[in-house]
Parts: sequence; structure tokens; C-alpha cells
Amino acid sequence: MNVIIQAIVTGLLLGGLYALVGVGMSMIFGVMKLTNLAHGDFMILSSFIIVVFLQHVTNNMFVALILTIIVMLFFGTIVQKFLINRVIDKGADSPLLVMFGLSVIIQNALFLIFGPNAQIINTELMRTNIVSTQMLSVSALHLVNFLVAVAIIVALTVIMNKSSLGRAIRASSSNIKAAELMGINTKRMYIYAMGLTIIVTCVAGLLVGSTFMYFNFTGTQYLIIAFGVVVIGGMGSLMGTLIGGMILGLSQLLGATFFGTPYQTLSGFLVLLIILSIRPQGLFSKAIRK
Amino acid sequence: MKTLLENKTNTVKVGVVIIALALLVTLPNWGTRGMIPIFTLIMIYIAFGQMWNLLSGYTGLVSLGQHAFIGLGGYALAVSSERFGLPLYVGFIMAAIVSFLFALIISVPIFKIKGVYFTICTWVVAHSLGLFLSTLAFVNYAIGINIRATFRLPTSTIYYVALGVAIVSVLAVYLLLRSRFGLGLMAMRDDEDAAEARGVALYKTKLKCFLISSVIMGVAGAAMFMNLGFILPASAFGIDWTISMVIIVIVGGKGTIEGPIIGAVILVMLRQWLFDFPGYSMLILGAIAIILILVAPKGIMGLVHRFTGAEFFSVRRRPKRITEPK
Repeated sequence: MNVIIQAIVTGLLLGGLYALVGVGMSMIFGVMKLTNLAHGDFMILSSFIIVVFLQHVTNNMFVALILTIIVMLFFGTIVQKFLINRVIDKGADSPLLVMFGLSVIIQNALFLIFGPNAQIINTELMRTNIVSTQMLSVSALHLVNFLVAVAIIVALTVIMNKSSLGRAIRASSSNIKAAELMGINTKRMYIYAMGLTIIVTCVAGLLVGSTFMYFNFTGTQYLIIAFGVVVIGGMGSLMGTLIGGMILGLSQLLGATFFGTPYQTLSGFLVLLIILSIRPQGLFSKAIRK
Repeated sequence: MKTLLENKTNTVKVGVVIIALALLVTLPNWGTRGMIPIFTLIMIYIAFGQMWNLLSGYTGLVSLGQHAFIGLGGYALAVSSERFGLPLYVGFIMAAIVSFLFALIISVPIFKIKGVYFTICTWVVAHSLGLFLSTLAFVNYAIGINIRATFRLPTSTIYYVALGVAIVSVLAVYLLLRSRFGLGLMAMRDDEDAAEARGVALYKTKLKCFLISSVIMGVAGAAMFMNLGFILPASAFGIDWTISMVIIVIVGGKGTIEGPIIGAVILVMLRQWLFDFPGYSMLILGAIAIILILVAPKGIMGLVHRFTGAEFFSVRRRPKRITEPK
């Protein structure tokens, strides 16, 4: 029984982190109907950049994060402006494959720069436990991950629903022509949406990088997790991602408890495939499927 | 006059194809030792590219999980040879059967899913298969299996198998697309609703295409692992295969038969050339792919076609009567 409670708690907390990984992808899909196949690589790229700043520039985690966000915003704007915006109107396949190519480039560039060694961002949080009893132990890192994830997803939802920027972005996503007639530069809105996504992704990169080991090809792994989260929650639904993340985290940890650790990742994907074959549009999808 | 010219170019085309085939078949007799393994790889990648192209370039089912069948084919060969002691050709038959059955089973849930979700789901299925096989004692977990029967094979035998697979894949796509079925496929890709209204059975057409693509992919996968001689889940179900397929098709030209051939040659040659610098070849290929999507969405073959009008394996139907424009 203890084991199950532990699995549920850890699963939910892990789910928060997964949701944060997935929310950027959901956002991009919701706004420009693009499945960002390089999403995981964006995240791992930011983890690598954070480590570089931590090693050479500053000891402060927040300063490193902010510097990384600045670098990544620059990168994201270039990608959005010169790659995605140029192909986004040319059918569904072209942008998908452009991002696929970008993913290959990022992975191999990381390999050339940093080599194949696994890395991890060192934090004090890793070694502290918030709750440590015989019944239950909760790592500070997992709890922080969860809280930050919830805070960011709520903040993102508020920005998208209440601010004028959010309204403009949503307008560009629901009806391009009408939005442009109202004087909204939709391509610029896409850049802003990418910027928001990049900020969230950098935070996810920090948290994931300090929780798990990563190396140049890890992006793919998190891309699939982001898929899972977003598909369970419904593409484009931000709060859905939170629930999607928790379902994925729970099913992974419960699967690991009942069938053994090797089945952890597998059981998560099985639940995903089952949900998808019953409800092909995800649990909370509002977005129209293309 | 015009028909004569057309016939003449046709003769030239047939001649070129026959000469190319003759050169490929006699390659072990005239080629250097180093050429045979490279051509083996090119042949297998041609098959991979053709099958991905058949599925995604012609039917619009963009799948990023076709490496599931490469892995299944490889494992079918490895298991039947190592665990059951069957000869290698039985392994190839098993690869076809296993791929067929898996494609048939997985098509039931996966065809309900459309668009991007389909793309994602195929990937997740392939990834899950790899994870599943690494938990099985029967296939030696994630440690992998040596396919010892392949160690004694001469390189020319492996080359001929690869050549056979490549020829079968090209022929299959060519004949399929020239048939009535292929017409339905292309109609479906261009406009699903219109095609259905004209009597194309969507589900059946997609399913057939998926099955054919999967079976040949499985056999090509078995050929690949016969060439490698060793299989483990991470390599068998790695996304690298699909990355290669996609790059081959994009660089060569989506929706053409010549495209994957050109793409496969470029991919294998570039990798071979940059063998001492791992990472660079994929970096360059990724960049080439992106640039091509931006400036020439139809790939190299599209460019060639635009400037010279040359097409080797045309699957387009031309009107039989040629009327002079007035």
C-alpha cells in the first residue's frame, strides 16, 4: 500500500514536469497548427546553454536561466521568422518536415560541440527531501518541479485568455483573414507565440536538466513525452496538458510499481495509445483536427 | 513527328535503365572490394526511401514510425535464425509475415487517428515496440542478438539480396502507381473527399498501401540486419532509420520514383565520405533538406524535371491521342 501511495505521489509530481515539457508544444500547435518536432531538442539545447553559462559566466541559477532565455529567444525568433513563417502556409507537411530537419541539425550540432557525454545541472535541491518518513518520501526537486510547472501553466493560460497579446495570438490562430483585417500581423503573432513557448521551454530545460541526465540525443525522448502529454490532454488546450501530464506520470509510475521498472516508459505509452484509440482527438481538445 | 520523338526518348530511357541494371547486377565482377558494401547500403536505403515515399508521398499518410517494420523484420530474421536455427531465407519470409500481421493489427486503432496525430502515434508505436522488446528475455533484453549465420556470408550474396529488395521496391511502386489502384491513391492524396465521392474506397486503399509498404519495409529491414549481423532494440527501433528515409525522400523528391534513388545515393555517399567526422554528415543533410523544402519542395528530381523535363519512371498517364494545339 505504501508503495502505491508513493507511486501516486511521485507520478503526479513527475506529471507536472511532463506537463511543463508538453505545454510549449501544445501552445505552438494551438496557435499555428504546427507540430514542433524539434520541441524536445529546443529544450535540451536550453539545458546545454544553461550549463555553459553556469560554468563560465555565473554561479547563480536564475541569472543563467535569464541569459539562456535571451539567447534562446534570439534563436527562436530566427527559426520562426526565417524557417517556419516561410513554410507555414504551404500545407501541413512542409513545416513538419522543416522542424524534423531542424531537430536533426540541433542534435548533431550538440554532438559536435559537447560530445556524447551525459550531463546534469547540479542543484542543492537534488539532495534534499521535503517529506521523509517511512510511508512517503518526496524530493524537494520534484516538488519544486511540480509547483513551477503549475505556476507557469496557469500564468500562460492567463496571458492567453486575458491580455491583449493573448487575444491577438488567439485571433490569429482561429481566423487568419479576420485577424489580419483587424490589423493584426499574424506572422508577428506567431513570433510572439514562439517567444512565449521558448521562455517556458527554457524553464522546462532547467528543471528537466537538473532532474534527469541528458545528452545530445535526449531531445527525442522528451519529444515523445511531450507528444504523450499533449495528445492525452488534447492539442492546443493548455490546462489539458496539466491533466495529460499527470495521467502520463501516474500511468508510468503505477506501471513501474505493478510490472517492474523496465515497464515504466512502456506503460505510459500504452495508456496513451489506448486513450487515443478510444478518443482520437484527446481528452480535452478544443482544437480542430487537420 | 512528336510521337516519334516520344518513342525515341522512351527507347533511350529503357536503354538507360537496362544498362544501369546490367551494371548493378555485374557489380561484384567489376567493382572494387570497397564498392560492394557501399552499394549494398545504397540498395537497402533505396527500398526504405521508396516505401516511405509510397506511404507519405503518394497517400499523404505521413508516418514517422515506419522503422517499426525495419526493427520487426530484423528481429524476425534474428530470432528465426538464432533461436529456431532456421535458414536465412526463412527468416526473410518470417520478416514479411510478421510485418504483415503487425501492420494489419496496428492499422485498426491507428487508422482512426488522423493527420498530425497519426504521425505522432506511429512514432510512439515504434518506440513502444523497442521498449517492449528490451524487456523480453527471449530476445536477450536490450543486449541484442548476434545473427551468426550471416557472418559466413560473402559480401556479394548480401549485395544481391539488397539489390533484389531494391528492385522489388521500385517495381512495386511503379506497377502499383500505374494501376487503377494507384490512380485512386493519388486522387486520395490530392483531395480525400472528392476521391471518396468518385468511388475510391478510402479505408481499403489506405490499408492496402500501408500493408504493402510495411511488408517490403520489413523485408528490407531483414536485409539491413543481415548486412549488419547484429541487432539490438535501440538500433532496430531507433528513429535514425526514419530520419534517413525522410531525408532521402525530401532531398531526392517527394512523390517521384527517381527521387528516393537519388536521395539514397547522396545519403550513403555523404555518410561514407564524412565517415571520420561523425555528426557532420547528418548536420549537412538536415541543412540540405531544410533548404530544399524552402526553395524546391519537390527535391532534386523536381528541379531536374523543371529544367529538363526528364522523367524516368513516369507514373503519370498521358493522353493516348496527341492533338496539335491550335
